[in-house]
Amino acid sequence: MTEPAVAVRSLTKVFPLHFRRAKLVAVRGLDLEVAPGQVYGLLGPNGSGKSTTLKIILGLVAPSAGQTKIFGRDSREVGSREAVGFLPENPYFYKYLTGEETLRFYGRLCGLGGRALTARTNELLALVRLEEARHRRLGGYSKGMLQRIGLAQALINEPRLVVLDEPTAGVDPEGSREIRDLILDLKRRGITVLLSSHLLAQVQEICDRVGILAQGVLVREGQVTDLLAIENQTKLILENATPEVLAQIRALLNGTDTRLVEQRQPQTTLEGLFIEATKSKPSA
Amino acid sequence: MSDVKHRSFSLARVAALTGNTFTGLVRLKVFYFLLLFALLLIGSSIFMAELTFQQEFQILKDVSLGAMSIFTSLLAIVAAAQLIPRDLEERTIYTILAKPVPRYEYLIGKLAGVLLLLALSLAAMSALFLALLFVREQVLVNQTMRASAGLPPAQLQEAIRNLKASAFNANLLPGIALIYLKAALLASLTLFVSTFATSNIFTIVVMVFVYFIGHLQATARTYWLESHGGGWLAHAFLGLVALVFPDLQLFNLVDDIVAGTAISFHLFAPTAVLGCVYTSVYLFFAWVAFYGREL
Repeated sequence: MTEPAVAVRSLTKVFPLHFRRAKLVAVRGLDLEVAPGQVYGLLGPNGSGKSTTLKIILGLVAPSAGQTKIFGRDSREVGSREAVGFLPENPYFYKYLTGEETLRFYGRLCGLGGRALTARTNELLALVRLEEARHRRLGGYSKGMLQRIGLAQALINEPRLVVLDEPTAGVDPEGSREIRDLILDLKRRGITVLLSSHLLAQVQEICDRVGILAQGVLVREGQVTDLLAIENQTKLILENATPEVLAQIRALLNGTDTRLVEQRQPQTTLEGLFIEATKSKPSA
Repeated sequence: MSDVKHRSFSLARVAALTGNTFTGLVRLKVFYFLLLFALLLIGSSIFMAELTFQQEFQILKDVSLGAMSIFTSLLAIVAAAQLIPRDLEERTIYTILAKPVPRYEYLIGKLAGVLLLLALSLAAMSALFLALLFVREQVLVNQTMRASAGLPPAQLQEAIRNLKASAFNANLLPGIALIYLKAALLASLTLFVSTFATSNIFTIVVMVFVYFIGHLQATARTYWLESHGGGWLAHAFLGLVALVFPDLQLFNLVDDIVAGTAISFHLFAPTAVLGCVYTSVYLFFAWVAFYGREL
């Protein structure tokens, strides 16, 4: 049986609030698993425990109870992070470093060096389309560019697991789509992705499995298709259907238990319209 | 790549953190202001009133070594105080510690970056100071030779020997080394304080107090014991203060250097070792405090 990429068992995290002698239970008895090669979305409102859970998985915060493992290794072992790349929410990097220097810095932290590091840096700058900005200091990067360089540093060590905390927060639709495409590319290459997000439409597009947290408790979990399916309904999309054809279909339903719930023209999304309308603008 | 076996200590990782810390510090405006001030102070000492050559060299050494000591101590505190708080505030620490980087390597790299900055700053100031010393020595040697043209050669050689002895002597180098070690100790202690401090200002204020206590505690202790005596409790308390707050006056050999007193190896070596031990112990305390810190 393949070891899960991420295994969380009975995870609880309590933050003491000293002055009031009260406690904040950020995560409560959480159990979840992320299979290798899966894209898993961790959803929930602000303060639901998503970021705390991710930080515990990454060994940045110690659990109050329970255990988290990455590919079978306890998260608290520093060595477990050899296989991990992380992009935090609203990432900041050292403003005085250029894009290239940033990747080289993180690459050296992962044990890369010499020509291998140079090659990997060039490859990632091309992947995230920041080759022209490689010599510019990060202090001069836009939000979208920072997000892309953040993704690049998360991938510098060719991780088997990539953890993304709100990867498209504050990014424009085009940048958001690029990041989505990158995530799908990671999935195609068999890399496990664990992401947290508020943007439900995006999560729906890219995630295989989601878990919904509320007040530190996992309230729903499962395959996206299963969770979203309305069990007793079927969707048909017809092209070039004439009024006569539609009348025939409605007539077919007479005398059966099947009911026509809705008939309307499908719509594109606002995001799709935005991308289409702005496609020809100069790139950043 | 992700199947690479993790090494519990990697000089390459520490070097990456050291280089990055150093790069960030040299781009701080405060560094340039402080360095410029120190260099100006050293440079201006050459324009002080020309008295006898002994007095001139004494003033040059006093002002220059004093400026070097204050500047490196100040830089050590200011630079080390903001390392961890800034990384926490800007959340760059998450991206670093999410890599396979143990927390002790992170601290070692940060401290090493500050020590590198201190070493290069002190080297620059020392180079200017020694250059000024050399230039004035040569000017005064030439003046002496012109003024003493009629003197017997033995007497002239004696005069030049005395002049050169007043200028550069072997005491200068251990004195500068101890200035560096004092700054290293202060940097390490500042790093420790910053691991539990609530703000940058808090760290700097605490370190200013430590600086003054460190310089005055030996005198205060001697005065107290002589005037009040004191039982075992007083001795124990004063001993604890002496242990926790390093006696920074031990690292101050400026007066001895200016007076021309020889600094023996038996004085220099234990002081240097003490400085290294304190620096290491405070770094260890910093790791203990930082190990369990929630990010």
